[in-house]
Amino acid sequence: MSPTVPNGIPTGHAALDDALPGQGWPVGEMTELLTDCSGHGELSLLMPLLAGAETEGSWRVWVAPPHLPGVSALAAAGVRSRHLIVVRADTAGERVWAMRQALRSGVCSVVVGWLDRVDNALLRRLQLAVREAAIPLILFRPLPQAQHASPAALRLQLSARAAGVLRIDILKRRGAPANQPLYLQGAGFDAPPAMAPTRCAAPPALVLIA
Amino acid sequence: MRWLALVFPDWPMQALFRNPSHTRPLAVAHRQRVCALDATALAQGVRPGQGVADALAIAPDLLVRPKSSEAERSALREAAGCTLRYTPRVVLEDDGLLLDIAGSTRLFGGLDALLRHLRSDLAAAGFRALSACAPTPRAARWLARATPGQCVADDDHALAEALAALPLRAMEADASLLALLADSGLRTVGEVMKLPRDALARRDAAGLRRLLDQALGQRPDPRPYFETPPQIDSRLELPIPRHDIDVLLFAANRLFNACCTQLAAVHAGIESCRLELEHEHHPPTVLTLTLGTPSRDARRMALLTREHLARLALPEAVGALRLKAAHWIELAGRSEDLFGPLAPSPARRQEAGRLLIEHLRARLGPDRVYALSACADHRPERSQQQVEPGPGTSAAAQGGRRPLWLLPEPRLLQTIRNQPWRTGPLQLVSGPERIESGWWDTDGEASPGDALRDYFVALGTDHARLWIYREHLPPHRWYLHGLFA
Repeated sequence: MSPTVPNGIPTGHAALDDALPGQGWPVGEMTELLTDCSGHGELSLLMPLLAGAETEGSWRVWVAPPHLPGVSALAAAGVRSRHLIVVRADTAGERVWAMRQALRSGVCSVVVGWLDRVDNALLRRLQLAVREAAIPLILFRPLPQAQHASPAALRLQLSARAAGVLRIDILKRRGAPANQPLYLQGAGFDAPPAMAPTRCAAPPALVLIA
Repeated sequence: MRWLALVFPDWPMQALFRNPSHTRPLAVAHRQRVCALDATALAQGVRPGQGVADALAIAPDLLVRPKSSEAERSALREAAGCTLRYTPRVVLEDDGLLLDIAGSTRLFGGLDALLRHLRSDLAAAGFRALSACAPTPRAARWLARATPGQCVADDDHALAEALAALPLRAMEADASLLALLADSGLRTVGEVMKLPRDALARRDAAGLRRLLDQALGQRPDPRPYFETPPQIDSRLELPIPRHDIDVLLFAANRLFNACCTQLAAVHAGIESCRLELEHEHHPPTVLTLTLGTPSRDARRMALLTREHLARLALPEAVGALRLKAAHWIELAGRSEDLFGPLAPSPARRQEAGRLLIEHLRARLGPDRVYALSACADHRPERSQQQVEPGPGTSAAAQGGRRPLWLLPEPRLLQTIRNQPWRTGPLQLVSGPERIESGWWDTDGEASPGDALRDYFVALGTDHARLWIYREHLPPHRWYLHGLFA
């Protein structure tokens, strides 16, 4: 959209790519996914990102996931669970610290974190760390946090519209504001087929109901 | 120019404290007499040779520690280890080292460059040395003691001239003998050299002549070379017991730097080491630093120490630090990456990944950072396990479609009108998938490992897709086991 926005990493969902300023998940920026419930395919949204760009010795880090990641489902989505570092941390400070370490290490291709209420100063520190790391940082946060300001470049609100249909409201993005919600649905949405280890693999089948 | 002599000024103090940075004057005493002191004490008027009582009268806040020969020996070995990178031929002296650098001067780009590297290595370990070069070890040492910085070329005449200018005290001979010569009106080494041999012999000073001959290279002067012990055990005292992390880290860094330089000299690395923080009234606090991969990276050790220290509650201020590392592992040489840090090689990325993991573990706890791997078991709660992150084989994934979130413990669901219920009735979408396994895991009478279940994908009233199961046996309870997130 704007020529100054650097290219993102394709999300694997064409409709979502088109709505994002960098045609994908922003790199070197924080992305917030705001959602209140689980089981709508909100994590599946990230599977192409986690499966893609599989280079030797590159790690993915999950900081404080709320449940146990299912290895079978990860494998089905093409994510190598042995290169996925799961970090359990209790306090927001520890979580932010762990994410910053992961960002600074220079060996991670994506960092995903779960954060509740957190100090804006801590968020800004994360923002600085991710700028230098130049990889995507995805934060899952509870929906009420949408009312608080955040340095994240992209904020998406995720909710369920119907069975197997994920509704995405773009609350904040670089460039023109979005006023239409997106609906993502697909047969393989819960567990998208394993993708070839390239960034620009074909996205899974997707239906856009606007 | 073959020998480089290093002399550590105020060695009794350096050996104990390694040039600490602090404001209180500091002195080391031997038999109630000051034998070494720092610049602050000197500025306040304390002088070497003074009685401790006099020194304390002059500088009331002077810290006095007894001289420790054991600390001196061990510190000297450590300093020698730091120089082994530059030559394998290192000789230990009382308060210094002699290095045979004939074979390595060119390798390091000349004497100046070698000295620069050497000094920075020693400084990182907390040592400060005066140096001089000469064709013979004894001459080098005398020069370093009297006129540090001098470098005498490989030429008999130049050597004799340089030695002749030295004051008598440069000669490391018996003090009474030197006093005798001084009383005879002799002031320099050159004047002693001019004395006839039999004149010296008549004054019981034949030994002096031998020393002179050795210094001039006219008599052999064999010396045993230092050999590294295959372990590190170095200790560093703090002048004042301290609590603050920064001070402790600064001191620990000196130990780490010395340790890593020694390891570099023998092309080895360590996988773990122990850092003991000694207290006055409590047993030492022990930090075990696990490096993940064999390494000799002082920064990595410092990083881990910082995390450990941030987490620890010390029972008392720390008076001394001790680093112990055994089990050296030979490290293969490594090629540098052509594109440097821009495109690190897979091996380097693996290593950096290990470092990240150890770093996270140091602060959060070892069992809180892990990866997952599938294992060959049909029971969902046993189909995966925590493993060490990194390459490795994972058992083939089992069964049908599985959710991305698994609950650590299946959660009992309400049943209303024979229907599973979670904030509303759950609608079964697909299933059942029967999982019947684990009868062999009997534990006594009951068989808790036994799983007889029918799994369904269910849809909640909030459109969430859930993975639930019903017990195969009565009372046919429903459980929530996962979420298709």
